[in-house]
Amino acid sequence: MATTAAEARFRVDAPIRGQRATRVVALDESATAVMRRVAEQTWGGARFYSYEARPHSVETDAELADIVLRTMDGAEARLSEELADADAMVMIATADDGAEAASAIGNACTLRGIMTAGLILGDGREAGAAVMALRPHARVLMRSTGEHDVADVLTALRA
Amino acid sequence: MLAQETNELLTQTGPGTPMGELFRQYWIPALLAEELPENGSPPVRVKLLSERLIAFRDGEGRYGLIDEFCAHRGVSLWFGHNEETGLRCAYHGWKYDVTGQCIEVPSEPEDSIFCKKVKLTAYPLVKIGDILWTYMGDPAKRPEPPEFEFVHVPSEQTYTSKRWQESNWLQALEGGIDSSHVSWLHSAGLKNDPLFKGSKGNDYNMADLKPFFEVEEVDGGLFIGVRRNAEEGHYYWRITPWVMPSFTMVPPRGDHPMHGHLWIPIDDENCWVFTFDYQPVRALTADELQAMKDGHGVHNQNEPGTYRPVQNKDNDYMMDREAQRRGETFSGVKGIAIQDSSLQESMGPIVNRSKERLVSADSGIIKARAKLRAAAEALRDEGVTPPGVDPAHHRVRSVSIVLPKEASFIDSCREAAAVSPGVRQTSV
Repeated sequence: MATTAAEARFRVDAPIRGQRATRVVALDESATAVMRRVAEQTWGGARFYSYEARPHSVETDAELADIVLRTMDGAEARLSEELADADAMVMIATADDGAEAASAIGNACTLRGIMTAGLILGDGREAGAAVMALRPHARVLMRSTGEHDVADVLTALRA
Repeated sequence: MLAQETNELLTQTGPGTPMGELFRQYWIPALLAEELPENGSPPVRVKLLSERLIAFRDGEGRYGLIDEFCAHRGVSLWFGHNEETGLRCAYHGWKYDVTGQCIEVPSEPEDSIFCKKVKLTAYPLVKIGDILWTYMGDPAKRPEPPEFEFVHVPSEQTYTSKRWQESNWLQALEGGIDSSHVSWLHSAGLKNDPLFKGSKGNDYNMADLKPFFEVEEVDGGLFIGVRRNAEEGHYYWRITPWVMPSFTMVPPRGDHPMHGHLWIPIDDENCWVFTFDYQPVRALTADELQAMKDGHGVHNQNEPGTYRPVQNKDNDYMMDREAQRRGETFSGVKGIAIQDSSLQESMGPIVNRSKERLVSADSGIIKARAKLRAAAEALRDEGVTPPGVDPAHHRVRSVSIVLPKEASFIDSCREAAAVSPGVRQTSV
């Protein structure tokens, strides 16, 4: 019976095995600025990326499906490769600039069975547009007025 | 996952703790009005926020909530005589009024003013609806009384019960915010329970076991929207309000009554669960009322003369493996309330959140914890009044609704999620 304080002390005290492999993608410039600050903290297996929308004319369907991300040190990274061993995707947005990327990421994650979450920062019209853009592609959406929520969510997820 | 020091901050509610001080900013339920049914009723022992108190209703009908122990020799006033103007200690006859003021010390000379110098800690106790509410904070900061709709509708439209849960308040509250367990733990209840079954919403619930979640911050707390597929081009939304620190409502089903809970710390290892059902515009039917008294819906049956559930940890909640095998219950435990409490108590009195593995679907819980922590720290460090103190924040409803896919639940439901006297709930 683990229902008394005395018995609760006998809960197995070994670390639970397995590390979460979280990918965090900032979908616009303001979101990237927030993510850079958050990425400076110590994380488990989390990897952080930004997405920069390119002029629409140069993107083929294939490019849209497998978008190019940028790591925190500026290197290019293909979404498909970065999702290879991922089990959680957190998208951060402040506006709907990254709607196409959200769609590509959402579809890629659905195909691979990767859980998706969206954090929308802000409470104005732009944030509302971001909610609309991410809604079809994020299984969980949280709108927040404080960037501390990004770190709180990633901490809670053991990212 | 929470760091251990944050877990302690959120779960400790005794005097002087940050979360204890947060709770002391609000009116909270102390006991049911039925526990002091008439003038001069026997006094009732009440422990709230780790303080032992005695509640009584004097011979003239005034309610009091005072320190349980006599100032003289520390005897419990529960043994006292409840008289016309106060509660008299059974040991040496010291007498206290509802403000905690000692008004008689029989051993002192007749004209002695000694008793005027003796006053026990006392808190206001007021009846609103079926509940006696108290405020345990600074009298100078006492807010206006609560305005939750269930305590303001006519008495024939509302019913409240109470049960003792042997766990910390926070793991009980988190169950009220966590919508994703319903399709599992309570799945049989959607088919069988007289206060749940038969709604169109149940069909959506059971047809889509992988819902999407949205968490929206509002002035008093959160709205947590859970959406499932409905007819082509539409989603079925279930919207749960959380008003800080511990009021939650369950999204309604069909024309069944609306219901919810207030989770109130007794001490750090126990809490009271005040559970209500109400109809905004009509009286509860005799069948509905009987079902609630029989422990259906979100209510339960208590051991006679107590508020301890009949199904409790000492009898393994009367778990029935055969019923579990037959699919009558998912966990083998009967009744939605005890299905929740059995699992929440099984975590231990205070769950160690540094060991948990949360997933994205727990975002409502993650955000609620963050808001509680921020509010407790802002109160402690800067004296900021927390969300949910303003009675305007109490005027919320839960909602279940079918919306076009492109609609924002928070924008589409502003009216439906606000209290509108005389207007029926929005429910599918």
